[in-house]
Amino acid sequence: MAAQMAATKVPEVRDITRIERIGAHSHIRGLGLDDALEPRQVSQGMVGQLASRRAAGLILEMIKDGHIAGRAILIAGQPGTGKTAIAMGIAQSLGQDTPFTAMAGSEIFSLEMSKTEALSQAFRKAIGVRIKEETEIIEGEVVEIQIDRPATGTGAKVGKLTLKTTEMETIYDLGSKMIESLSKERVQAGDVITIDKATGKITKLGRSFTRARDYDAMGAQTVFVQCPEGELQKRKEVVHTVSLHEIDVINSRTQGFLALFSGDTGEIKSEVREQINAKVSEWREEGKAEIIPGVLFIDEVHMLDIECFSFLNRALESDLSPVLIMATNRGITRIRGTNYQSPHGIPIDMLDRLLIIATSPYTEKETRQILKIRCEEEDVELSEEAHTVLTRIGLETSLRYAIQLISTAGLVCRKRRGTEVQVEDIKRVYSLFLDESRSSQYMKEYQDSFLFNEAQGTQMETS
Amino acid sequence: MAEEYDLKTDELIVRKWRKKSTLGAPGQWSIEVGDPSTMDTLEPHLMKESSSNPVLMRKDTKTSFQWRVRNLPYPKDVYSISVEPVERCCIIRTTNKKYYKKFPVPDLDRCQLPLENSAITFSHANNTLIISYQKPKEILTLEKDLLTELKRMKGTSDGDVDCKTQ
Repeated sequence: MAAQMAATKVPEVRDITRIERIGAHSHIRGLGLDDALEPRQVSQGMVGQLASRRAAGLILEMIKDGHIAGRAILIAGQPGTGKTAIAMGIAQSLGQDTPFTAMAGSEIFSLEMSKTEALSQAFRKAIGVRIKEETEIIEGEVVEIQIDRPATGTGAKVGKLTLKTTEMETIYDLGSKMIESLSKERVQAGDVITIDKATGKITKLGRSFTRARDYDAMGAQTVFVQCPEGELQKRKEVVHTVSLHEIDVINSRTQGFLALFSGDTGEIKSEVREQINAKVSEWREEGKAEIIPGVLFIDEVHMLDIECFSFLNRALESDLSPVLIMATNRGITRIRGTNYQSPHGIPIDMLDRLLIIATSPYTEKETRQILKIRCEEEDVELSEEAHTVLTRIGLETSLRYAIQLISTAGLVCRKRRGTEVQVEDIKRVYSLFLDESRSSQYMKEYQDSFLFNEAQGTQMETS
Repeated sequence: MAEEYDLKTDELIVRKWRKKSTLGAPGQWSIEVGDPSTMDTLEPHLMKESSSNPVLMRKDTKTSFQWRVRNLPYPKDVYSISVEPVERCCIIRTTNKKYYKKFPVPDLDRCQLPLENSAITFSHANNTLIISYQKPKEILTLEKDLLTELKRMKGTSDGDVDCKTQ
């Protein structure tokens, strides 16, 4: 029976994992380092970039320790050399409990919020507070579940659940959502369960001893537990992690905590923030809460202007600030909001505070490897020659362009009922879609025949 | 905290509390005295106790704290009420294991008075179990003082109170 159970469970698991779509970095599962923080050549979706991955591994250790606040790291390199991939790798290896907030530099420019407000919200989203809260749970042994389906087949189901402890018994009326999760958990009479009263989450603790029979067929993992004592409703302490930003929104009087769901949080007064900071440090001293500094990742950081950088300078000095990781693909360029030139478009005083990790262009072997990983991720089979051709394309144009060709070539191949992508398919899509350099070439040749070009050179005299 | 009194008999009808959660979000009202069924705000898709279950509510009289448990059809000899001075609560037990309830007496907790086994009595009629706890002297004087204080306040006439808007 256990084997049969296992066999029926497999499709469920697949259903859950296949919901995710394939994004540009969905093949990244970590930084690909071993226990000594030495990078493996190909691991967890990462290829090459050994020096920068090792550096990122050190940063990761620092973040995990959680003692150092307000460090900033800059990942700099040419386009398509894996800067975002490294940041994603860090996020993946941090795990569930450490907050990781990712944003693009241009996100802070909004009409509803000042730039510094957007930045400080991002900062506070990246700081977690682990705190104990009391919740009400219902814990008891299931005596009976009765679910009535409407005779017509449509409409809401209604049901009754009888739970007992050693001392008492209570009947509950069930709503449709509850019936659904009870049947999903396969709760039956004789199970001992807990139900979180606020969220309705059901946890199976095991089967009751009183229901144990000698000849019952049981799975190996069946646990027997005593029937709970006392009252059905209990108060229980649970630990969970919230971000400072969430606490801010809950306490900002103008909005109310419902704003968290609508995303419309507006500006939060600095007095509220100060109060929260004081409260949190009080909790920490009393041992009620624990602060988990997380990571704020700002991509395309050259999009920030001089005001943002001076704000960042100041914000990084607070002991409640997360580790800041920035990425840019610019060389020496103008700092936004000024006429000064600076490396990466970041002012020198800011650069002085940064640990800079450089990424270098991929070699042919690495490009080949990455394309292989992407093919697996996108479920496309590539013949050996097509792979070589694609690698050449990747080296001569860009890695991103080559990756784009994988799925399109896969489609061409599927249309001609082939199973493996051949060189012809690659050629076909290569001729259909221009890469960046061919496109600029085309522009230069045919510039004159595009719209609004006829007027050039013959400017009207207006003065 | 909010309290409602009957203007004619000066009896306490409702006393309810609203506390903030640890994170600062406003919580639900919790009813100390009065009918809790008026506060039913649970989400309809989840679960709630069936209306045929026993319901405990507190309804004080002048001289005693009183709790009523409705929907208890069993005969009187099934019930036993005990006082736990250490845990500071009273416990209702049933020999047929159908109902069990631990409840505190917050008024005594606030005055830090001891709970006494001799003060408690109970009766059963019309599917309802009535538990009375004789109010100690300290509480009686305190409530009398409070009432004279309340009488001195000027009540508003009927209708909504004129609230200042921002």
